[in-house]
Order: sequence, then structure tokens, then C-alpha cells
Amino acid sequence: MNSMNDRGFFDLAMKVIAGRATVAERAALDDLLAREPALRTELARLQGDVRLSKEALALVDATQARSAELPEYARERLQTKVRQTLGRSQKADKSGRNQVLLQKWAWLLGLAAATAVILLVALPLSRSSKSPVIELAMLDTTGGTRGTDTNDVALLETVTKGARVRIFSSANELRMWEQTWPADGGRPEAKIIYDRAAAEMKVFYRSNGKTFERAFSVEKNLGDTLEQVNRFLHSHPPS
Amino acid sequence: MISARAMSLPKLRALQSSDAAAWDEAFRWLWPGVFAVAELKLRPYLPNEIEDVAIEALEDLVEKVHEVRTVEELKPLAASIAHNKAVSLLRERFAQKRGEGKTESLDATTEDDGWREAAAGSSPLHDLELSELSERLGRSLAELKPPQGKMLSDFFLHEMSYEEIANKHGLAVNSVGVYLKRGLEALRRIWGREEK
Repeated sequence: MNSMNDRGFFDLAMKVIAGRATVAERAALDDLLAREPALRTELARLQGDVRLSKEALALVDATQARSAELPEYARERLQTKVRQTLGRSQKADKSGRNQVLLQKWAWLLGLAAATAVILLVALPLSRSSKSPVIELAMLDTTGGTRGTDTNDVALLETVTKGARVRIFSSANELRMWEQTWPADGGRPEAKIIYDRAAAEMKVFYRSNGKTFERAFSVEKNLGDTLEQVNRFLHSHPPS
Repeated sequence: MISARAMSLPKLRALQSSDAAAWDEAFRWLWPGVFAVAELKLRPYLPNEIEDVAIEALEDLVEKVHEVRTVEELKPLAASIAHNKAVSLLRERFAQKRGEGKTESLDATTEDDGWREAAAGSSPLHDLELSELSERLGRSLAELKPPQGKMLSDFFLHEMSYEEIANKHGLAVNSVGVYLKRGLEALRRIWGREEK
């Protein structure tokens, strides 16, 4: 069969297989098959190809869809899965990223309810042997503020990138945590207590068995104060 | 809702190191595809499960992020996971229905046939392993360049005539068959049984 006839057969076969052939086109295909019985094998193969192709094309088309938008609840669930599976990002630990982190903190802390919420943060400043441990804790004495919500914990974990989140429901527990330092493994630890009601940020820094304490007032905005805290913690020993 | 517009592809290394912002980008990029695949399989029978299957597919994808070499591989992989999850769910629910023995009426029988068609592996794609499905889907996305892929979809999925396809793509009517033939041959190379 020459290429013209081949194309004519293909076009007729496609229309018949797709169920869109006219009576005349169907008759023309029957005529071709009668004259060239070998084409029946080719027709059967095309029918198989079409069936497979319809399935594959439907999947290919769906894969390329662009219109649906990710629901917010799904994003939170998926981010939780990322943290559980891959661990928390180490990106925020890298030196040079602390400024970004501080800006995020400013935003984060601005979310806290006005009353009875204190955040304790151990700053992940760098990965050097002198960097403080990575930890974040939150006290919610009212039990009803947004910080206790699971989604907000996920949010805290997201914005702090690498800091471990702890939640305390009582001031006593908070105090115990505040006074409990890990066995000295040669790595310092810093704890920051932000008291929004008092517009004050307390920083505890422990290194080589010694504890340094300093209070920073939150006069203009939290971001500025966090920068001061950052500078304080970057000096070894803090001064 | 989070907008899918104006997004860029995330960096694979950032995803593998658990970067939350990179994963946000990835989820926004991948969501429409996994949702559409889940919808394709489940809409007639289990429409309430579509969103859950799509989310679960992305959750599974997170576990496989270290298995891919390029970020582009994530799209067909995510879609393949969604496809296989949807098929598994259909099979599971179909088995439950059969166990209940509810096929007394003609309507019920017809519905049962539909379930059987959707669930029992009548699709040639249903029996492919995840890696095989993903690899073939990825090749299809890469090799079916426009307008060939679009023309195949127009003819086989949207039931457009040669004339309508020619008008849509600004081609001569007698060239439509050429595109379809080459497209079918490409699909046979990618998905054909001889490659199994």
C-alpha cells in the first residue's frame, strides 16, 4: 500500500474506531479491508493503540492541569508531613540568615495574643561550636490563645525553621524550663523571654558553666530589639 | 486558597533539605495535577474522596523526594501516585460493595458494572508499577510537544472532528491525520506493551 492509501486507511480507521465515521466512510473502509485482508491486523492494532492512548492522554492531560488551588488546610497538613519526614530545615541555622530570622520573629511575636503569652526562644545563631542550642518554647497560661492551636505550632515551626517548639501551660513549668540547662557539652545555650505586657525581653545565655543575663526593653519595635539581642548573643562572651 | 499563579519551580536540593518555602512552591505547582488525576479516576464514584487522595499523594511524594534526580520528575511521580491511590481506593470500595451483595436491581447491576470497569483493572495503565507509570508519564509530557499532544486530546478525549481540529490549530484538514498518526506512534512507543 502506498503512503497515500496508507493515510487514507488510517483516517478512515480513526473515524470508525472513534465512532465518528459517516456511512460512506464506513463502507469505504469495509471495501479497503475486503481488497486487502492484511489491513484487518493493522485495524486491530490501531484499536488497541487508541484504547491505550485514550487512557494515557487522559492521564497526561490531567497531570498538566493548572487551575485548582491548594487549600490552606492542605498546605498546613503537608508542611507537617515535610517536617515529620525530612526533619526541620537547617537553612535557618546558616550564618548570614539570622537577619531574616529576626524579621520573621518580629512578625511571629506580633501574632501572639496580648495577654499571658510568653515566648521562650533559644536562638539558632550559627552552626559553629559556639552557637547556642536550637530550641523554642511557648507559654500559654490562658489555654485559649491562638498559640496553643496546632496550626499555630506548625506556623511557629515553619517560621523559626529548625527551632524545636515547646509549649508550657503554666508559669511554674516555664520557670523550671528556664532554670534547667542541659549538661555542659561545650555548646552554649541562649533563652529569650519576651514579655509583651512588660515590653521587655530577657535573655539568658549560658556558656562554660556561667550564665549571663540581660534585659532589653522593647521601645520602638520588636525587630530592633531582636537585633540588639542578636548582637548580644554574637559577642563571646556576651557583654 | 493559595494562588497557583506566577510560581517558579522549586530547587530540588531545597526540597530535600526540608525547606518550607520551597515545599510551599512545590505543593502549589503540583496540586492542580494531582487533584485533576484523582478527579479523573474518582469523580463518577467517589467524589468526596478526591481531595483526600490528592493530599495523600503529595504526602507520599514527600517521602520519595530523595529518589528523584530532577525537580521536573516530581510532577509525573506525584500524578502517578495519585493515579495508583485512586485505583486502589476504587478496588477496595468495589470489593466492599461486592461483599455486601447489593446487585438485585437492573440499576444496581449497571452501577456495579461501572464500578467494575473503573476498579477492576480494565485500564491498561492500572497494572503498571509506580515507577513505570511515572517514567512513561514523564516521557509523554516531554515528548508530546504541542500541537501534537493537544490534537490527540482534541480527537480522542474531546471528540472533535478533523475539520474542527484543523480550524483550531490553523492547519490543513488533510494534515490532521498525519499528526494523529505520529502521535499515536509516539504513544505506542512510550506506553506500548512491547516495552513492558
